[in-house]
Amino acid sequence: MPARGKSSNPGPDSEDALTVKRDHEAIANLADDLLPALIAKLASSGLGEIEVRQGGWKARLRMPAGGEESRKNAAKVADGHAGHGHPTGRGAAVHTRAEERERHPFPEDEVVDEPGRIAAKSPAVGVYQPRKDLAVGMRVRSGERIGQVNVLGVNQDVVSPVDGMIGSSLAESGEAVEYGQELVRIELPERPAGGDAARTAGEPAGAAGKA
Amino acid sequence: MFNKILIANRGEIALRILRACRSLGVGAVVAYSEADRESLAAQIADEAICIGPADAKHSYLSAPALISAAIVTGCDAIHPGYGFLSEDEGFADVVRAHGLAFIGPSAEVLERFASKEATRRLMTANGLTTIPGSTMLRDEDHAIEEAERIGYPVLIKPSAGGGGKGMRLVRNARELESTFKVSRSEAKAGFGDDSLYLEKFLEENRHIEIQVAVDRFGNAVHLFERDCSVQRRHQKIIEETPSPALSDAARRDLAEKALKAVSAAGYENLGTLEFLVDGKGDAYFIEINCRIQVEHPITEMCTGIDMVALQIKIAAGEPLGFTQADVVSTGHAIEFRILAEDPAKDFRPQSGQVWAYLTPGGPGVRMDSHLYPGYEIPSYYDSLLGKLCVWAPDRAQAIARGDAALRELLVDGITTNIELHRAILANQVFIDGKVTTSLLDRVGSAPFVAAGNR
Repeated sequence: MPARGKSSNPGPDSEDALTVKRDHEAIANLADDLLPALIAKLASSGLGEIEVRQGGWKARLRMPAGGEESRKNAAKVADGHAGHGHPTGRGAAVHTRAEERERHPFPEDEVVDEPGRIAAKSPAVGVYQPRKDLAVGMRVRSGERIGQVNVLGVNQDVVSPVDGMIGSSLAESGEAVEYGQELVRIELPERPAGGDAARTAGEPAGAAGKA
Repeated sequence: MFNKILIANRGEIALRILRACRSLGVGAVVAYSEADRESLAAQIADEAICIGPADAKHSYLSAPALISAAIVTGCDAIHPGYGFLSEDEGFADVVRAHGLAFIGPSAEVLERFASKEATRRLMTANGLTTIPGSTMLRDEDHAIEEAERIGYPVLIKPSAGGGGKGMRLVRNARELESTFKVSRSEAKAGFGDDSLYLEKFLEENRHIEIQVAVDRFGNAVHLFERDCSVQRRHQKIIEETPSPALSDAARRDLAEKALKAVSAAGYENLGTLEFLVDGKGDAYFIEINCRIQVEHPITEMCTGIDMVALQIKIAAGEPLGFTQADVVSTGHAIEFRILAEDPAKDFRPQSGQVWAYLTPGGPGVRMDSHLYPGYEIPSYYDSLLGKLCVWAPDRAQAIARGDAALRELLVDGITTNIELHRAILANQVFIDGKVTTSLLDRVGSAPFVAAGNR
């Protein structure tokens, strides 16, 4: 990346530029050496999360639950007028580099949900309608339809991503939902041995309140 | 006026439309793909909605996703920006069928101007000159006959092609004879249609376009021209207005002719008529763009007209509210497209994270960009990072301001073409206003960059 060390364009001051350079080196190191090793370690350990510190840096990896890329701000369009605003800590040009280091050493860290959290997500932008007989505690199979999203009159199925039990609802019937929005929590009956399975079991069902 | 507009695009133009909506006091919802969740437009919008996955086919190019998003968020209009579905008459039609307004020409107008061939015939009938060409070629003899009538060099063009694909340049009858069969089988293989035609090849040409605005009541104005001759492989890199190649009388004349033709053809909303202008100053109409153009800011800087707001007003059924006499173009403006491309490595697109981002300032400097420090550039879309535009009372001062602004602009973490822009500004051919569309491709960018570093 030749643009990085460009002498004609120093940062606000040279010390800052040095810091930036150091940060870049640390990140390059993280990406090339540390991360692959950590990912392998995490995958083989059965742990939900690991954290290491190196120099002034901290890297934390969490295992995504459903195997899919999980997401935040799920209830963004929940109240029908899609308040997006500035998600805390994810603001645009507003946070400083120091905050950046403090908060998310690398962005992937924050996007990952808590371990064990699995949800059926909306396949499209439209109006959500859960299956009529859907009830908390009901067993569902992976791929089983648990509701539909109506897109301009065409229904698209909302399916469970795993075998499990229906947990709390994250969206109401008739609610406008966006693509990828979490609609229904799916609880796993039991977790594979090891790791911090207890965290999932202890998850409160009260999250439905935020929808 | 509309109540709320769905912005069906991304990057800098999503931000530009959002700004226009805010200045008009109209609500706006930014539609974004999963890859654009962290985009500046989605972050600063009052409302934003995820419409689909990163693949544009299922997000920015998905009519059902966009229309559904507009309906569930209570929008009454959709702004398509540029690219994606901006000139798709089918989309415009479906948008209207769902009771929403499409911000652009109506579906009928888009359809009328959808075929390049039909548009050229329509515009010729309304007084514009097009590049001399042949009818569809029957065989080799017919091709040679037509080429001699038009005059060499000529381009052999597949009727079903586009964007320069499948074109071949021939300089005499012998070359035409040897190329004809190859072109025919290539066209058959590439487009499933072996129809060929000839077009005169203009050796040294400039790309000059006329901006027009027409409301529903037949009020029509032109906003003068933009010169987009600095190109690389048919992609514009630097645009300026006024064109250094046209005298004041010539630019007025071309703009008036274009406006007359386009209003007679029943055009509506913003439009850009593109011309190739040869060394003798003859202008040949090539096509019309029925949308907001990337390079619209330089026209805004010289005329003081907010073109996106104007586009929205026209689509909402409002009259222009001003006449040609009110349109005054003052000074000189230049736009530099800041691209995530590495000029040293054959302009390979770059992706990655922007670490530091500093925009230039000072009089007459404008930066339209969706960048911010920490922004991760998705690899799914085009390489446009932003547009640095400068205005000054005259061209020499605009060049000086452009160079000063480019020196200030910092995009750290991503390789960009900023240095190429500086090199072009320092090049005598550019300073003399003599750049033609083929120059960069002919000499390559390396000599420019090398000369600029001296």
